[in-house]
Amino acid sequence: MRGIQLLLTVIVLGAWEVLGRAGVIDEFFFPLPSDIFQTVWVWVSSGFVFPHLWVTMQEAILAFLVGAAVGLIFGFILARVRFLERLMDPFLQMFNALPRVVLAPIFLLWFGLGIWSKVAFGFTLVFFIVFFNTLEGVKSVDRVLVDNARMLGASEKQLLRHVFIPSALTWIFSSLHISVGFAITGAVVGEYLGASGGMGYAIAQAQGVFDTKGVFAGMFILMIVVLIIDLLVNRLERHLLRWRPVRSS
Amino acid sequence: MPAAQPATSGYAVELTGCTKQFPTSSGETYFAVRDIDLKVEPGRFVSIVGPTGSGKSTILNMAAGLLTPSVGEVKSFGEPVTGVNRRASYMFQQDALLPWKTVIDNVSLGLTMAGVSKAEAHSESRRWLEKVGLKNFADRYPHQLSGGMRKRTAIAQAWIVNPDILLMDEPFSALDVQTRQIMENELLQLWQESGKAVVFITHDLDEAIALSDEVLILGAGPGSTVVGSYQIDIPRPRDLLDIRDDPRFVALHREIWGRLKVEVSKTYESAMAEEGEAA
Repeated sequence: MRGIQLLLTVIVLGAWEVLGRAGVIDEFFFPLPSDIFQTVWVWVSSGFVFPHLWVTMQEAILAFLVGAAVGLIFGFILARVRFLERLMDPFLQMFNALPRVVLAPIFLLWFGLGIWSKVAFGFTLVFFIVFFNTLEGVKSVDRVLVDNARMLGASEKQLLRHVFIPSALTWIFSSLHISVGFAITGAVVGEYLGASGGMGYAIAQAQGVFDTKGVFAGMFILMIVVLIIDLLVNRLERHLLRWRPVRSS
Repeated sequence: MPAAQPATSGYAVELTGCTKQFPTSSGETYFAVRDIDLKVEPGRFVSIVGPTGSGKSTILNMAAGLLTPSVGEVKSFGEPVTGVNRRASYMFQQDALLPWKTVIDNVSLGLTMAGVSKAEAHSESRRWLEKVGLKNFADRYPHQLSGGMRKRTAIAQAWIVNPDILLMDEPFSALDVQTRQIMENELLQLWQESGKAVVFITHDLDEAIALSDEVLILGAGPGSTVVGSYQIDIPRPRDLLDIRDDPRFVALHREIWGRLKVEVSKTYESAMAEEGEAA
């Protein structure tokens, strides 16, 4: 399979390169793969990309940590207190229905050009995913597991620790891949709309001078970074959910 | 080991005039069980047999304190049951082991939650795992075990806290016939001279007679109540593998089945009638 995948990559990139050189594809809009990799190499070897990457990562990590923490806490509280869930439900639905991108301009005004406007923006993306998954995860805990733990003498705190949190963890992890991606999306989009540094800023700068190679190079580097992060999340998931039967899918 | 609680006077389980009703979505009231009287002396093995939907689990859940009766009173050793019945362990029909804990951590759960140190809880758990024949499986996760092994784990989990009452809700119904008989035998061996009261729910009359000192028959639901009580005077210790040929067993079975049959047919007929209405 790996061989065929590699072959497919070579064919697509090769065709792109050949068609570009032959003038069938406009090199201005679709720069040659060789030129893109050249630019990537320049950005990496000159060290130009690293400060930008660092800014984006900082924003994404902060947005993710705060968003996930608040989402978890809210999810657990609302799942355990029916009254609060019913009270908050319409408001949460309203905010969730809001296309989050429209918040970016106002956050820019509130929090300025620095990282905090992007953290706030990423937070609104991450929070809802983690929150809804936690809420659902806690609510869908098998009744019999709760009853059994209670019969064995579990207090409310012990129920949380031994039953609800581990059970919700599977739901939280299924949302983790998406929310990590969203944290980075939030950071990049926020930077694109107005920043003084970061990958989104670097891409916007390249676009500003019609440097499509730069735009593609930025995309490529972000893609690789997200892949690496996803790999790490997978590792963590496998470790924390090692009790789960291996599904044959 | 938690110290055995002082034996106070009274029945291990005592339900007096217990009715449980639920409001239905159509605004009516659904009676799960009605006017249940149940008295289980310490050390007695009592089975409750009834047709599907006769509210057997409701009775057990009231005794456990997981459900509060709408009308009536639940007592345990003379004390009213408020909240979870701390003198009882419960074995559920479904798998109730925590899938994210290993076998030994599952068995230890009742002790560790009571504040026993992990090392102490584990050594006690190992003793129990040996007793139920699972000492080589301590570090497995529940999904890596067979159905029978999961039930053994559940038995160890329920017994390790040394309860005075064991509430069992069709614990072996998911097992195949052979495994089931072996499990029943092992249960009796554990229970013999343990002095624990057992309330055992089953829809299998053979199982009920083979295990019990007393068999209660529940009427057809909804709103069922106890329609018959039979003392099982087959001497102990019993050999469950041959008990079905015992003349006393055969006679009791014939007598009790005569009563249970009526309720089972009622349930069947009302189910057919409902299907007819729906059609």
